[in-house]
Amino acid sequence: MLYMAAWVPLGAILGLLAASTGHLSPAEAAAVIFPAIVLLAFICLSPWYTCPSLPLRSSPIGKLLLHHLFAACVVSGGVVLIARLAASGLSRVMPGINLRFSAATPVLTAMIAMVYLLSVALHYAVIEAQTSRRSELLAREAQLKALKAQVNPHFLFNSLNSISALTAIDAARARAMCIRLAEFLRVSLRLGERASIPFREEMELTRMYLDVEQVRFGDRLRLLQNLDSACADCEIPPLLIQPLVENAVKHGVALLDEGGEITMTCRLEQDRLWFTIQNPFDPEAPASRGGMGLENVRQRIDARYGDRARMEVEAGERTWKVVLTLPMRGL
Amino acid sequence: MNVIIADDEDLARRLLREYVNGEPDIEIVAECANGFETVKAVIERRPDVLFLDVQMPKLDGFEVLELIDPGIAVVFVTAFDQYAMRAFDAAAVDYLLKPFPVERFREALARARRRVSAQTGAPSPSSSDLRNAARAPGEFLQRIVVRDGAKVHVIPAGKLDFAEAQDDYVALRSESKTWLKQQTIASLETALDPGRFLRAHRSYLVNVEKITRVEPNTKDTWTAILVDGSRVPMSRSGYARFRGLLADGQNRE
Repeated sequence: MLYMAAWVPLGAILGLLAASTGHLSPAEAAAVIFPAIVLLAFICLSPWYTCPSLPLRSSPIGKLLLHHLFAACVVSGGVVLIARLAASGLSRVMPGINLRFSAATPVLTAMIAMVYLLSVALHYAVIEAQTSRRSELLAREAQLKALKAQVNPHFLFNSLNSISALTAIDAARARAMCIRLAEFLRVSLRLGERASIPFREEMELTRMYLDVEQVRFGDRLRLLQNLDSACADCEIPPLLIQPLVENAVKHGVALLDEGGEITMTCRLEQDRLWFTIQNPFDPEAPASRGGMGLENVRQRIDARYGDRARMEVEAGERTWKVVLTLPMRGL
Repeated sequence: MNVIIADDEDLARRLLREYVNGEPDIEIVAECANGFETVKAVIERRPDVLFLDVQMPKLDGFEVLELIDPGIAVVFVTAFDQYAMRAFDAAAVDYLLKPFPVERFREALARARRRVSAQTGAPSPSSSDLRNAARAPGEFLQRIVVRDGAKVHVIPAGKLDFAEAQDDYVALRSESKTWLKQQTIASLETALDPGRFLRAHRSYLVNVEKITRVEPNTKDTWTAILVDGSRVPMSRSGYARFRGLLADGQNRE
Protein backbone atom coordinates (compact mmCIF):
# COMPACT_ATOMS: atom_id res chain seq x y z
CA MET A 1 0.00 0.00 0.00
CA LEU A 2 2.77 2.34 1.02
CA TYR A 3 4.63 1.48 -2.13
CA MET A 4 1.58 2.30 -4.28
CA ALA A 5 1.02 5.53 -2.37
CA ALA A 6 4.56 6.58 -3.21
CA TRP A 7 3.60 6.32 -6.86
CA VAL A 8 0.75 8.85 -6.56
CA PRO A 9 2.92 11.98 -6.85
CA LEU A 10 4.95 10.38 -9.62
CA GLY A 11 1.73 9.56 -11.47
CA ALA A 12 0.56 13.13 -10.94
CA ILE A 13 3.78 14.50 -12.45
CA LEU A 14 3.49 12.21 -15.46
CA GLY A 15 -0.18 13.17 -15.85
CA LEU A 16 0.66 16.88 -15.74
CA LEU A 17 3.42 16.36 -18.24
CA ALA A 18 1.07 14.53 -20.60
CA ALA A 19 -1.57 17.20 -20.11
CA SER A 20 0.78 20.07 -20.85
CA THR A 21 2.54 18.55 -23.87
CA GLY A 22 -0.55 16.98 -25.39
CA HIS A 23 -3.09 19.61 -24.27
CA LEU A 24 -5.13 16.89 -22.59
CA SER A 25 -7.71 17.92 -20.07
CA PRO A 26 -6.90 16.84 -16.47
CA ALA A 27 -9.63 14.21 -16.59
CA GLU A 28 -8.34 12.81 -19.85
CA ALA A 29 -4.77 12.74 -18.58
CA ALA A 30 -5.81 10.95 -15.39
CA ALA A 31 -7.84 8.37 -17.28
CA VAL A 32 -4.97 7.59 -19.63
CA ILE A 33 -2.12 7.68 -17.12
CA PHE A 34 -3.78 5.76 -14.30
CA PRO A 35 -3.63 2.22 -15.80
CA ALA A 36 -0.13 2.94 -17.14
CA ILE A 37 1.18 4.04 -13.77
CA VAL A 38 -0.21 0.97 -11.99
CA LEU A 39 1.54 -1.22 -14.51
CA LEU A 40 4.78 0.76 -14.18
CA ALA A 41 4.68 0.47 -10.40
CA PHE A 42 4.69 -3.31 -10.72
CA ILE A 43 7.33 -3.41 -13.42
CA CYS A 44 9.66 -1.25 -11.33
CA LEU A 45 9.82 -4.06 -8.78
CA SER A 46 11.38 -6.37 -11.35
CA PRO A 47 14.99 -5.11 -10.89
CA TRP A 48 14.83 -6.83 -7.51
CA TYR A 49 15.34 -10.02 -9.49
CA THR A 50 17.41 -8.79 -12.41
CA CYS A 51 19.94 -6.67 -10.47
CA PRO A 52 21.41 -9.48 -8.35
CA SER A 53 22.01 -11.50 -11.52
CA LEU A 54 24.03 -8.58 -12.92
CA PRO A 55 26.16 -7.50 -9.95
CA LEU A 56 27.46 -3.95 -10.24
CA ARG A 57 31.09 -4.74 -9.48
CA SER A 58 31.66 -7.90 -11.41
CA SER A 59 29.61 -7.39 -14.62
CA PRO A 60 31.19 -5.72 -17.65
CA ILE A 61 29.96 -2.14 -17.92
CA GLY A 62 28.84 -2.59 -21.58
CA LYS A 63 26.67 -5.56 -20.73
CA LEU A 64 25.25 -3.73 -17.76
CA LEU A 65 24.26 -0.65 -19.77
CA LEU A 66 22.95 -2.68 -22.70
CA HIS A 67 20.79 -4.84 -20.49
CA HIS A 68 19.20 -2.08 -18.46
CA LEU A 69 18.78 0.36 -21.37
CA PHE A 70 17.12 -2.34 -23.44
CA ALA A 71 14.85 -3.21 -20.53
CA ALA A 72 14.03 0.50 -20.10
CA CYS A 73 13.04 0.78 -23.79
CA VAL A 74 10.83 -2.31 -23.61
CA VAL A 75 9.20 -1.14 -20.37
CA SER A 76 8.50 2.40 -21.55
CA GLY A 77 7.28 1.10 -24.93
CA GLY A 78 4.93 -1.33 -23.22
CA VAL A 79 3.61 1.16 -20.71
CA VAL A 80 2.99 3.81 -23.33
CA LEU A 81 1.21 1.19 -25.43
CA ILE A 82 -1.14 0.47 -22.52
CA ALA A 83 -1.79 4.18 -22.13
CA ARG A 84 -2.39 4.39 -25.85
CA LEU A 85 -4.91 1.50 -25.67
CA ALA A 86 -6.63 3.26 -22.80
CA ALA A 87 -6.77 6.43 -24.90
CA SER A 88 -8.30 4.69 -27.89
CA GLY A 89 -10.80 2.97 -25.61
CA LEU A 90 -11.79 6.36 -24.30
CA SER A 91 -11.89 8.06 -27.68
CA ARG A 92 -15.63 7.50 -27.90
CA VAL A 93 -16.36 9.36 -24.67
CA MET A 94 -13.53 11.84 -25.09
CA PRO A 95 -13.27 12.65 -28.77
CA GLY A 96 -9.87 13.73 -30.05
CA ILE A 97 -8.02 12.17 -27.18
CA ASN A 98 -6.04 9.88 -29.50
CA LEU A 99 -4.50 12.71 -31.44
CA ARG A 100 -3.68 14.77 -28.39
CA PHE A 101 -2.18 11.75 -26.66
CA SER A 102 0.10 11.10 -29.63
CA ALA A 103 1.61 14.53 -29.16
CA ALA A 104 2.53 13.63 -25.58
CA THR A 105 3.95 10.16 -26.46
CA PRO A 106 7.68 11.03 -26.94
CA VAL A 107 7.98 12.91 -23.66
CA LEU A 108 6.00 10.28 -21.81
CA THR A 109 8.15 7.43 -23.23
CA ALA A 110 11.35 9.17 -22.22
CA MET A 111 10.02 9.92 -18.74
CA ILE A 112 8.90 6.35 -18.13
CA ALA A 113 12.26 5.02 -19.26
CA MET A 114 13.94 7.41 -16.82
CA VAL A 115 11.69 6.31 -13.99
CA TYR A 116 12.52 2.69 -14.71
CA LEU A 117 16.27 3.38 -14.78
CA LEU A 118 15.92 5.29 -11.53
CA SER A 119 14.36 2.26 -9.92
CA VAL A 120 17.25 0.11 -11.21
CA ALA A 121 19.73 2.52 -9.62
CA LEU A 122 17.76 2.46 -6.38
CA HIS A 123 17.83 -1.32 -6.31
CA TYR A 124 21.59 -1.35 -6.81
CA ALA A 125 21.99 1.08 -3.94
CA VAL A 126 19.94 -1.15 -1.66
CA ILE A 127 21.89 -4.27 -2.68
CA GLU A 128 25.18 -2.46 -2.11
CA ALA A 129 24.15 -1.35 1.36
CA GLN A 130 23.12 -4.88 2.22
CA THR A 131 26.38 -6.48 1.08
CA SER A 132 28.49 -3.94 2.93
CA ARG A 133 26.55 -4.66 6.10
CA ARG A 134 26.99 -8.37 5.52
CA SER A 135 30.75 -8.09 5.05
CA GLU A 136 30.99 -5.99 8.18
CA LEU A 137 29.14 -8.71 10.04
CA LEU A 138 31.43 -11.36 8.58
CA ALA A 139 34.49 -9.45 9.70
CA ARG A 140 33.06 -9.18 13.20
CA GLU A 141 32.29 -12.86 13.21
CA ALA A 142 35.87 -13.68 12.18
CA GLN A 143 37.15 -11.55 15.02
CA LEU A 144 34.88 -13.31 17.47
CA LYS A 145 35.99 -16.70 16.23
CA ALA A 146 39.58 -15.57 16.57
CA LEU A 147 39.01 -14.60 20.15
CA LYS A 148 37.31 -17.84 20.98
CA ALA A 149 40.22 -19.75 19.46
CA GLN A 150 42.57 -17.87 21.75
CA VAL A 151 41.83 -20.11 24.65
CA ASN A 152 43.33 -23.20 23.24
CA PRO A 153 41.79 -26.39 24.62
CA HIS A 154 45.14 -28.13 24.81
CA PHE A 155 46.42 -25.45 27.17
CA LEU A 156 43.26 -25.53 29.24
CA PHE A 157 43.13 -29.31 29.72
CA ASN A 158 46.83 -29.58 30.45
CA SER A 159 46.54 -26.86 33.06
CA LEU A 160 43.61 -28.65 34.67
CA ASN A 161 45.70 -31.80 34.72
CA SER A 162 48.49 -29.94 36.51
CA ILE A 163 45.97 -28.78 39.09
CA SER A 164 44.70 -32.32 39.49
CA ALA A 165 48.27 -33.49 40.14
CA LEU A 166 48.98 -30.66 42.57
CA THR A 167 45.96 -31.30 44.77
CA ALA A 168 47.65 -34.34 46.31
CA ILE A 169 51.15 -32.88 46.38
CA ASP A 170 50.66 -29.28 47.41
CA ALA A 171 47.11 -28.10 47.95
CA ALA A 172 48.11 -24.46 48.30
CA ARG A 173 49.87 -24.49 44.94
CA ALA A 174 46.88 -26.22 43.37
CA ARG A 175 44.66 -23.44 44.61
CA ALA A 176 47.09 -20.78 43.42
CA MET A 177 47.10 -22.35 39.96
CA CYS A 178 43.29 -22.46 39.85
CA ILE A 179 43.24 -18.78 40.64
CA ARG A 180 45.87 -17.94 38.04
CA LEU A 181 44.02 -19.88 35.39
CA ALA A 182 40.71 -18.24 36.29
CA GLU A 183 42.38 -14.84 36.22
CA PHE A 184 43.84 -15.46 32.81
CA LEU A 185 40.51 -16.65 31.38
CA ARG A 186 38.58 -13.76 32.90
CA VAL A 187 41.00 -11.11 31.69
CA SER A 188 41.25 -12.55 28.19
CA LEU A 189 37.47 -12.54 27.90
CA ARG A 190 37.28 -8.97 29.15
CA LEU A 191 40.07 -7.66 26.91
CA GLY A 192 38.66 -9.49 23.91
CA GLU A 193 35.57 -7.32 23.98
CA ARG A 194 37.51 -4.10 23.47
CA ALA A 195 38.66 -2.74 20.13
CA SER A 196 42.07 -1.75 21.46
CA ILE A 197 43.91 -1.85 24.74
CA PRO A 198 47.15 -0.36 26.10
CA PHE A 199 50.20 -2.49 25.42
CA ARG A 200 50.70 -2.69 29.19
CA GLU A 201 47.42 -4.58 29.65
CA GLU A 202 48.28 -7.06 26.92
CA MET A 203 51.59 -7.73 28.64
CA GLU A 204 49.79 -8.30 31.93
CA LEU A 205 47.62 -10.89 30.25
CA THR A 206 50.72 -12.47 28.76
CA ARG A 207 52.27 -12.66 32.19
CA MET A 208 49.16 -14.40 33.56
CA TYR A 209 49.37 -16.90 30.74
CA LEU A 210 53.06 -17.53 31.42
CA ASP A 211 52.38 -17.91 35.15
CA VAL A 212 50.10 -20.82 34.37
CA GLU A 213 52.52 -22.38 31.91
CA GLN A 214 55.31 -21.97 34.43
CA VAL A 215 53.54 -24.40 36.73
CA ARG A 216 53.31 -26.94 33.92
CA PHE A 217 56.83 -26.62 32.64
CA GLY A 218 58.71 -25.53 35.74
CA ASP A 219 62.38 -24.75 35.07
CA ARG A 220 62.01 -25.65 31.43
CA LEU A 221 60.28 -22.34 30.76
CA ARG A 222 62.49 -19.29 31.19
CA LEU A 223 61.74 -15.71 30.38
CA LEU A 224 63.72 -12.61 29.45
CA GLN A 225 61.95 -9.31 28.89
CA ASN A 226 63.24 -5.98 27.72
CA LEU A 227 60.25 -3.72 27.29
CA ASP A 228 60.70 0.01 26.79
CA SER A 229 58.40 1.82 29.19
CA ALA A 230 57.47 4.19 26.37
CA CYS A 231 55.43 1.36 24.89
CA ALA A 232 53.23 0.92 27.95
CA ASP A 233 50.43 3.21 26.86
CA CYS A 234 50.47 2.42 23.15
CA GLU A 235 47.06 1.23 22.00
CA ILE A 236 47.06 -2.15 20.28
CA PRO A 237 44.35 -4.67 19.35
CA PRO A 238 43.70 -7.08 22.24
CA LEU A 239 45.09 -10.62 22.32
CA LEU A 240 47.72 -9.94 19.70
CA ILE A 241 50.87 -10.66 21.72
CA GLN A 242 49.57 -13.48 23.90
CA PRO A 243 49.07 -15.89 20.95
CA LEU A 244 52.65 -15.20 19.85
CA VAL A 245 53.88 -16.14 23.31
CA GLU A 246 51.67 -19.21 23.35
CA ASN A 247 53.17 -20.20 20.02
CA ALA A 248 56.68 -19.84 21.42
CA VAL A 249 55.77 -22.13 24.29
CA LYS A 250 53.82 -24.71 22.32
CA HIS A 251 56.09 -25.14 19.30
CA GLY A 252 59.34 -24.13 20.96
CA VAL A 253 59.94 -24.66 24.64
CA ALA A 254 57.41 -27.49 25.10
CA LEU A 255 59.15 -29.64 22.51
CA LEU A 256 62.60 -29.12 23.96
CA ASP A 257 63.78 -31.57 26.57
CA GLU A 258 65.81 -29.01 28.41
CA GLY A 259 63.28 -26.25 27.71
CA GLY A 260 64.45 -22.80 26.72
CA GLU A 261 64.32 -19.07 27.14
CA ILE A 262 61.68 -16.84 25.55
CA THR A 263 62.97 -13.35 24.87
CA MET A 264 60.62 -10.42 24.34
CA THR A 265 61.64 -6.89 23.47
CA CYS A 266 59.62 -3.84 22.65
CA ARG A 267 60.52 -0.31 21.59
CA LEU A 268 58.99 2.75 19.98
CA GLU A 269 60.62 4.09 16.87
CA GLN A 270 59.42 6.35 14.04
CA ASP A 271 55.80 6.29 15.21
CA ARG A 272 55.88 2.55 15.27
CA LEU A 273 55.76 -0.09 17.93
CA TRP A 274 58.35 -2.81 17.36
CA PHE A 275 57.72 -6.00 19.25
CA THR A 276 60.08 -8.95 18.97
CA ILE A 277 59.70 -12.40 20.42
CA GLN A 278 62.33 -15.07 20.09
CA ASN A 279 62.40 -18.67 21.22
CA PRO A 280 64.60 -21.71 20.69
CA PHE A 281 63.11 -24.70 18.93
CA ASP A 282 64.15 -28.20 18.05
CA PRO A 283 64.41 -28.48 14.24
CA GLU A 284 64.12 -32.23 14.65
CA ALA A 285 61.04 -32.14 16.86
CA PRO A 286 58.00 -34.16 15.86
CA ALA A 287 55.53 -32.06 13.91
CA SER A 288 53.28 -30.13 16.26
CA ARG A 289 49.94 -29.09 14.97
CA GLY A 290 48.82 -25.72 13.82
CA GLY A 291 50.49 -22.38 13.42
CA MET A 292 46.99 -21.11 13.97
CA GLY A 293 48.07 -18.45 16.41
CA LEU A 294 50.42 -16.79 13.94
CA GLU A 295 47.98 -16.92 11.05
CA ASN A 296 45.29 -15.40 13.20
CA VAL A 297 47.50 -12.52 14.30
CA ARG A 298 48.48 -11.86 10.70
CA GLN A 299 44.88 -11.76 9.52
CA ARG A 300 43.86 -9.43 12.29
CA ILE A 301 46.61 -6.87 11.75
CA ASP A 302 46.01 -7.05 7.98
CA ALA A 303 42.33 -6.33 8.45
CA ARG A 304 43.01 -3.51 10.85
CA TYR A 305 46.10 -1.77 9.51
CA GLY A 306 46.61 -3.04 5.94
CA ASP A 307 50.11 -2.22 4.68
CA ARG A 308 50.95 -0.11 7.68
CA ALA A 309 51.55 -3.07 9.96
CA ARG A 310 53.90 -5.99 9.43
CA MET A 311 54.62 -9.35 10.90
CA GLU A 312 57.87 -10.99 9.92
CA VAL A 313 58.85 -14.51 10.85
CA GLU A 314 62.52 -15.41 10.85
CA ALA A 315 63.18 -19.11 11.27
CA GLY A 316 66.80 -19.69 12.12
CA GLU A 317 68.50 -23.03 12.56
CA ARG A 318 67.50 -23.31 16.19
CA THR A 319 65.74 -20.05 16.98
CA TRP A 320 62.42 -18.74 15.86
CA LYS A 321 61.80 -15.03 15.80
CA VAL A 322 58.69 -12.98 15.12
CA VAL A 323 58.87 -9.23 14.62
CA LEU A 324 55.64 -7.30 14.81
CA THR A 325 55.49 -3.66 13.70
CA LEU A 326 52.38 -1.62 14.37
CA PRO A 327 51.69 2.01 13.47
CA MET A 328 50.95 4.26 16.44
CA ARG A 329 48.60 7.16 15.96
CA GLY A 330 49.18 10.49 17.63
CA LEU A 331 52.75 9.79 18.69
CA MET B 1 52.78 -55.98 36.48
CA ASN B 2 55.35 -53.48 35.26
CA VAL B 3 54.51 -50.11 33.83
CA ILE B 4 56.38 -47.21 32.25
CA ILE B 5 55.14 -43.64 32.38
CA ALA B 6 56.05 -41.33 29.52
CA ASP B 7 55.14 -37.64 29.72
CA ASP B 8 57.30 -34.57 29.36
CA GLU B 9 55.50 -32.68 32.14
CA ASP B 10 56.72 -33.41 35.63
CA LEU B 11 53.30 -32.86 37.23
CA ALA B 12 51.58 -35.13 34.75
CA ARG B 13 54.06 -37.90 35.60
CA ARG B 14 53.55 -37.32 39.30
CA LEU B 15 49.81 -37.65 38.95
CA LEU B 16 50.17 -40.99 37.17
CA ARG B 17 52.70 -42.09 39.77
CA GLU B 18 50.19 -41.27 42.50
CA TYR B 19 47.48 -43.31 40.79
CA VAL B 20 49.81 -46.24 40.12
CA ASN B 21 51.05 -46.23 43.72
CA GLY B 22 47.49 -46.88 44.82
CA GLU B 23 47.57 -50.23 43.04
CA PRO B 24 49.21 -52.98 45.11
CA ASP B 25 50.67 -55.20 42.40
CA ILE B 26 51.98 -52.62 39.99
CA GLU B 27 55.50 -51.36 39.76
CA ILE B 28 56.83 -48.39 37.82
CA VAL B 29 60.02 -49.51 36.13
CA ALA B 30 60.79 -46.23 34.36
CA GLU B 31 59.60 -42.68 33.90
CA CYS B 32 60.47 -40.89 30.69
CA ALA B 33 60.26 -37.27 29.62
CA ASN B 34 60.78 -37.60 25.88
CA GLY B 35 60.26 -39.99 22.98
CA PHE B 36 63.83 -41.24 22.68
CA GLU B 37 64.04 -42.10 26.37
CA THR B 38 60.71 -43.86 26.15
CA VAL B 39 61.72 -46.11 23.28
CA LYS B 40 64.99 -46.96 24.98
CA ALA B 41 63.33 -47.69 28.32
CA VAL B 42 60.61 -49.83 26.74
CA ILE B 43 63.17 -51.93 24.89
CA GLU B 44 65.42 -52.33 27.92
CA ARG B 45 62.78 -52.87 30.58
CA ARG B 46 60.00 -54.45 28.54
CA PRO B 47 57.03 -53.24 30.59
CA ASP B 48 53.59 -54.81 30.43
CA VAL B 49 51.86 -51.47 30.13
CA LEU B 50 53.00 -48.11 28.79
CA PHE B 51 51.22 -44.87 29.64
CA LEU B 52 52.13 -42.72 26.70
CA ASP B 53 51.64 -38.97 26.26
CA VAL B 54 50.88 -37.99 22.67
CA GLN B 55 52.87 -34.75 22.59
CA MET B 56 56.44 -35.05 23.71
CA PRO B 57 59.85 -33.73 22.64
CA LYS B 58 61.97 -35.80 20.23
CA LEU B 59 59.27 -38.27 19.22
CA ASP B 60 55.52 -38.01 19.59
CA GLY B 61 53.43 -40.84 21.02
CA PHE B 62 52.55 -42.25 17.62
CA GLU B 63 56.17 -42.42 16.62
CA VAL B 64 57.01 -44.20 19.85
CA LEU B 65 54.22 -46.69 19.21
CA GLU B 66 55.66 -47.48 15.79
CA LEU B 67 59.02 -48.31 17.30
CA ILE B 68 58.06 -50.60 20.14
CA ASP B 69 56.91 -54.19 20.45
CA PRO B 70 53.21 -54.38 19.51
CA GLY B 71 52.71 -56.84 22.38
CA ILE B 72 52.98 -54.07 24.97
CA ALA B 73 49.64 -52.69 26.15
CA VAL B 74 49.70 -48.99 25.40
CA VAL B 75 47.36 -46.48 27.03
CA PHE B 76 47.58 -43.09 25.35
CA VAL B 77 47.28 -39.99 27.48
CA THR B 78 46.38 -36.69 25.87
CA ALA B 79 44.92 -33.33 26.74
CA PHE B 80 43.14 -32.59 23.52
CA ASP B 81 43.70 -33.66 19.95
CA GLN B 82 40.53 -34.22 18.00
CA TYR B 83 42.16 -36.24 15.22
CA ALA B 84 44.04 -38.47 17.62
CA MET B 85 40.90 -39.08 19.69
CA ARG B 86 38.94 -40.03 16.59
CA ALA B 87 41.70 -42.45 15.56
CA PHE B 88 41.80 -44.04 19.03
CA ASP B 89 38.05 -44.48 19.02
CA ALA B 90 38.06 -46.00 15.55
CA ALA B 91 40.84 -48.43 16.42
CA ALA B 92 39.48 -49.19 19.92
CA VAL B 93 42.78 -48.07 21.44
CA ASP B 94 42.44 -47.07 25.06
CA TYR B 95 43.24 -43.51 26.02
CA LEU B 96 42.96 -41.16 28.98
CA LEU B 97 41.90 -37.55 28.59
CA LYS B 98 43.66 -35.13 30.92
CA PRO B 99 42.56 -34.50 33.60
CA PHE B 100 41.19 -37.97 34.39
CA PRO B 101 39.82 -39.39 37.67
CA VAL B 102 41.37 -42.39 39.34
CA GLU B 103 38.37 -44.55 38.38
CA ARG B 104 39.00 -43.92 34.71
CA PHE B 105 42.65 -44.79 35.25
CA ARG B 106 41.67 -48.08 36.94
CA GLU B 107 39.39 -48.96 34.04
CA ALA B 108 42.22 -48.44 31.57
CA LEU B 109 44.51 -50.47 33.77
CA ALA B 110 42.00 -53.32 34.04
CA ARG B 111 41.66 -53.45 30.28
CA ALA B 112 45.43 -53.44 29.88
CA ARG B 113 45.65 -56.22 32.45
CA ARG B 114 43.22 -58.35 30.46
CA ARG B 115 45.29 -57.78 27.34
CA VAL B 116 48.46 -58.78 29.15
CA SER B 117 47.00 -61.95 30.69
CA ALA B 118 45.33 -63.03 27.46
CA GLN B 119 48.64 -62.31 25.69
CA THR B 120 46.92 -62.74 22.35
CA GLY B 121 44.56 -59.88 23.14
CA ALA B 122 42.52 -58.01 20.61
CA PRO B 123 44.35 -57.80 17.32
CA SER B 124 45.97 -54.42 17.83
CA PRO B 125 45.80 -52.19 14.78
CA SER B 126 49.02 -51.59 12.97
CA SER B 127 50.73 -48.63 14.59
CA SER B 128 51.33 -46.92 11.26
CA ASP B 129 47.66 -47.28 10.34
CA LEU B 130 46.69 -45.71 13.63
CA ARG B 131 49.05 -42.88 12.94
CA ASN B 132 47.61 -42.40 9.45
CA ALA B 133 44.15 -42.20 10.96
CA ALA B 134 45.28 -39.56 13.44
CA ARG B 135 46.61 -37.16 10.84
CA ALA B 136 44.63 -34.03 10.09
CA PRO B 137 43.16 -34.03 6.56
CA GLY B 138 45.65 -32.72 4.02
CA GLU B 139 48.54 -33.23 6.40
CA PHE B 140 51.33 -35.60 5.37
CA LEU B 141 54.13 -37.38 7.11
CA GLN B 142 57.15 -35.10 7.37
CA ARG B 143 59.49 -37.76 8.65
CA ILE B 144 59.81 -41.49 9.14
CA VAL B 145 61.16 -43.03 12.31
CA VAL B 146 63.09 -46.30 12.27
CA ARG B 147 64.87 -48.24 14.93
CA ASP B 148 68.17 -50.02 14.91
CA GLY B 149 68.47 -51.91 18.19
CA ALA B 150 67.75 -49.33 20.84
CA LYS B 151 68.86 -46.49 18.58
CA VAL B 152 66.20 -44.41 16.92
CA HIS B 153 66.82 -42.91 13.54
CA VAL B 154 64.71 -40.16 11.99
CA ILE B 155 64.51 -39.88 8.21
CA PRO B 156 63.05 -36.59 6.96
CA ALA B 157 60.62 -37.31 4.11
CA GLY B 158 62.69 -35.16 1.74
CA LYS B 159 65.73 -37.36 2.31
CA LEU B 160 64.01 -40.62 1.51
CA ASP B 161 65.10 -41.79 -1.97
CA PHE B 162 62.78 -44.71 -2.33
CA ALA B 163 61.08 -47.50 -0.42
CA GLU B 164 60.89 -51.13 -1.45
CA ALA B 165 58.40 -53.68 -0.16
CA GLN B 166 60.06 -56.77 1.33
CA ASP B 167 57.52 -59.21 2.76
CA ASP B 168 56.18 -57.59 5.94
CA TYR B 169 58.78 -54.85 5.83
CA VAL B 170 59.69 -51.85 3.79
CA ALA B 171 63.32 -51.17 3.00
CA LEU B 172 63.88 -47.41 3.17
CA ARG B 173 66.78 -45.99 1.19
CA SER B 174 68.13 -42.68 2.41
CA GLU B 175 71.57 -41.10 2.20
CA SER B 176 73.17 -44.29 0.90
CA LYS B 177 71.85 -46.33 3.81
CA THR B 178 69.04 -48.83 3.96
CA TRP B 179 66.67 -49.12 6.92
CA LEU B 180 64.12 -51.81 7.51
CA LYS B 181 60.78 -51.05 9.04
CA GLN B 182 57.78 -53.25 9.70
CA GLN B 183 55.13 -51.57 7.62
CA THR B 184 53.29 -52.19 4.37
CA ILE B 185 54.23 -50.09 1.39
CA ALA B 186 50.57 -49.18 0.92
CA SER B 187 50.34 -47.66 4.39
CA LEU B 188 53.57 -45.74 3.82
CA GLU B 189 52.18 -44.51 0.52
CA THR B 190 49.02 -43.10 2.16
CA ALA B 191 51.09 -41.35 4.82
CA LEU B 192 53.35 -39.51 2.39
CA ASP B 193 52.52 -36.52 0.19
CA PRO B 194 51.23 -37.97 -3.12
CA GLY B 195 52.64 -34.92 -4.90
CA ARG B 196 56.16 -35.92 -3.89
CA PHE B 197 56.09 -39.70 -3.64
CA LEU B 198 55.13 -41.92 -6.51
CA ARG B 199 54.08 -45.53 -6.46
CA ALA B 200 56.31 -46.44 -9.38
CA HIS B 201 55.69 -50.13 -9.05
CA ARG B 202 53.71 -52.57 -6.94
CA SER B 203 56.72 -52.89 -4.65
CA TYR B 204 58.29 -49.46 -5.01
CA LEU B 205 57.56 -45.98 -3.78
CA VAL B 206 59.92 -43.32 -5.08
CA ASN B 207 60.69 -39.70 -4.20
CA VAL B 208 59.95 -37.82 -7.42
CA GLU B 209 62.51 -35.11 -6.63
CA LYS B 210 65.25 -37.75 -6.66
CA ILE B 211 64.51 -39.00 -10.17
CA THR B 212 67.09 -37.81 -12.70
CA ARG B 213 65.81 -39.71 -15.73
CA VAL B 214 63.52 -42.53 -16.79
CA GLU B 215 64.64 -45.12 -19.33
CA PRO B 216 62.43 -47.50 -21.26
CA ASN B 217 63.24 -51.12 -20.59
CA THR B 218 60.98 -53.49 -22.39
CA LYS B 219 57.70 -52.66 -24.05
CA ASP B 220 55.85 -52.25 -20.77
CA THR B 221 58.49 -51.47 -18.20
CA TRP B 222 60.71 -48.53 -17.43
CA THR B 223 63.53 -47.81 -15.03
CA ALA B 224 63.89 -44.63 -12.99
CA ILE B 225 67.47 -43.58 -12.37
CA LEU B 226 67.86 -41.64 -9.11
CA VAL B 227 70.36 -38.98 -8.08
CA ASP B 228 72.46 -41.52 -6.20
CA GLY B 229 72.47 -43.91 -9.16
CA SER B 230 69.86 -46.33 -7.77
CA ARG B 231 67.62 -47.94 -10.33
CA VAL B 232 63.95 -48.28 -9.51
CA PRO B 233 61.63 -50.32 -11.74
CA MET B 234 58.51 -48.67 -13.09
CA SER B 235 55.46 -50.57 -14.20
CA ARG B 236 53.15 -49.40 -16.93
CA SER B 237 50.68 -47.88 -14.48
CA GLY B 238 53.55 -46.45 -12.44
CA TYR B 239 54.88 -44.78 -15.57
CA ALA B 240 51.42 -43.39 -16.33
CA ARG B 241 51.21 -41.94 -12.80
CA PHE B 242 54.67 -40.45 -13.27
CA ARG B 243 53.56 -38.72 -16.49
CA GLY B 244 50.48 -37.49 -14.66
CA LEU B 245 52.59 -35.98 -11.88
CA LEU B 246 54.85 -34.26 -14.41
CA ALA B 247 51.84 -32.81 -16.20
CA ASP B 248 50.39 -31.59 -12.90
CA GLY B 249 53.72 -29.97 -12.06
CA GLN B 250 53.81 -28.17 -15.39
CA ASN B 251 50.23 -26.99 -15.01
CA ARG B 252 51.05 -25.49 -11.67
CA GLU B 253 53.96 -23.55 -13.15
